[in-house]
Formats: sequence, structure tokens, C-alpha cells
Amino acid sequence: MEAINIKATRNTPAIRFDPVAHTFLLVGNSIPENAGEFYGPVISMIKDNMPALPDGTSFIFCLPYFNSSSLKAVYLLLTEIKSGMERGKKFDLVWHVEEEDDFMTEAAETFTEMTDLEFIFKTGLIEA
Amino acid sequence: MNMDRKDQDKLFQELEKSLLEYKGVLSSDVRVQLLDLLHCIAQDNLGRRTDLKRLVGIALELLDNAQRYNVSKDVDFRWHVEANNLVVTIRNRACRTDAERLMEAVQAIQRMNPEEIALAFKRQLTDDGFGPKGGAGLGMLHIAKKIGNNITANVEHVNTDEYLCTSQVVATLNPRAKRV
Repeated sequence: MEAINIKATRNTPAIRFDPVAHTFLLVGNSIPENAGEFYGPVISMIKDNMPALPDGTSFIFCLPYFNSSSLKAVYLLLTEIKSGMERGKKFDLVWHVEEEDDFMTEAAETFTEMTDLEFIFKTGLIEA
Repeated sequence: MNMDRKDQDKLFQELEKSLLEYKGVLSSDVRVQLLDLLHCIAQDNLGRRTDLKRLVGIALELLDNAQRYNVSKDVDFRWHVEANNLVVTIRNRACRTDAERLMEAVQAIQRMNPEEIALAFKRQLTDDGFGPKGGAGLGMLHIAKKIGNNITANVEHVNTDEYLCTSQVVATLNPRAKRV
């Protein structure tokens, strides 16, 4: 799968896939008016390229603020990741949370409950 | 009980803080700026809290809805504290379909208990796709999941296909969320 490098804007996160470092990053506030339009192509790209994604790829999420339509988009992305893992892929899921922040923690808990995926929690934000 | 002026002033300060009012165009840029401002206002007025972003997130969802389903681009938004409650109110003009959908969504939530809200949220999250305007139909359920069903909506007919929609959320400020 080729590299992805979508720069962050004030209402959309940076999305980067580094095929050498084996990292997929989703970093920054995610409050697009149309989440389907923003995330759709990325979800399709992950889905279409799942066989080419190397084992050991880390999916790293750091979303300080997100709207509910972004929550749905991330859920759809996670279902693709889960689907790959069910077919034998080995991925890590890293969820960054700010210290004492219910908002980011609850989102990961919702996703764990909905998908049965396990997240590695890391405290602290990362730059977009 | 008699109160002197100092006590009255203190009580008044504790009872109500009108933290932010905005009337005007709601664009994506304005929404981003309001989010930054609300975060800052919440931090400085409500203090360190674990639910700070959750509270700001309520406003974010209402602003999101108002921008997405707005026929005039203008909104009337208010974020204030009354006693131990954060009250977030937004008013915008929407077409009949969107106004009716708002009322249906809020009325449905008002009839739900917490378990039903959680179930409806999960069902909506796992449903396929997004609406024609890019929404996920999750906004009010997302709020209700966090703070309960203390959400109200009112719709007034303005003209042929224009309705004035007012949504209000009252969130109790949980003292346990406060950090020193």
C-alpha cells in the first residue's frame, strides 16, 4: 500500500500511512461537516489494500475533539481493521488520551465494546 | 432568610454564568473558533474537570446539527451555567423535513431510559453509511448517552418550508468530575 499524507486542517485530522515505519496515524480534531465525504476515501483505501497492509502495522489514534459523525467514521474504519485481523492480520491499535479526560477514554471504551478490539492506551497528545 | 448584599452577589455568581452567546453566521470556520473559545471558557470558568470536553462536546454536537440542517446559515447559540447545570441552547432555521426529524429524534430520546439510549446509539452507530448531508444521525443520541435525556426541542413554523428550531440541553455538573 502506498503512503498516505493528508495534512490536518482546523476541522479535520491529519491522516498518514507510512509503509516503511508501518504506522497509520489519525491525529487532530475531527469535526468535519461531512464526515462521510472526508473519511470515505480513506476507509475504502484501507479496505481495498488490506491484503497489502504489513503485519505489525500500528493504527494510532489521537483525536482530542471529534463530532459524532466522525465517531461513526472511525467505527467504520475499525470494522475494516477488525475484518483484516479476523483474516489473520496482526495489527496494534493505539489510542491516545489526555490525562483525566473522559471524552477520549469513553470513545475508546465504546469502540472496544462495539468491535471487541483491544486498544493500547497512551497518555498524552501527539502533534498532527 | 435574610442575606446581605455580599451573600446575594456570591449566590448570583454561583447561580448563573452567562458564558457565551453568539448570534450570526455559522460556518465551519466559526464552528472551529467557537470550539476553541468554548474549551477555553469551560476550562477557566468550570475549573479542572474530567468531563470538560464532554461538556464542550455537547455544544459541538448542537452546532454541528445547526450548521448541517440550516436553511439560513444564521444561528442563535447560548452556553451558560444555571445553578449546578450547564445549559446549551441553539436556534436555527431548517426545512420542514429536518425540523420534523429533529422533533422526532428528541421526542424518541425523551421516552427512553439510559439502557434504551445506549441501545439506540449502538444501533445508529452500526447502521450503514451517512445521511445525504454527511451526518450520522448520532448527534442527539451521543449527547443523551453522556448526560441523559434532558434534551428538549421546539419547532415553530416561519413560512412555507422554513421552521425555527430550538434545541436545548441541560447537563448537571457532576461535582465528582471536578479536580483540584
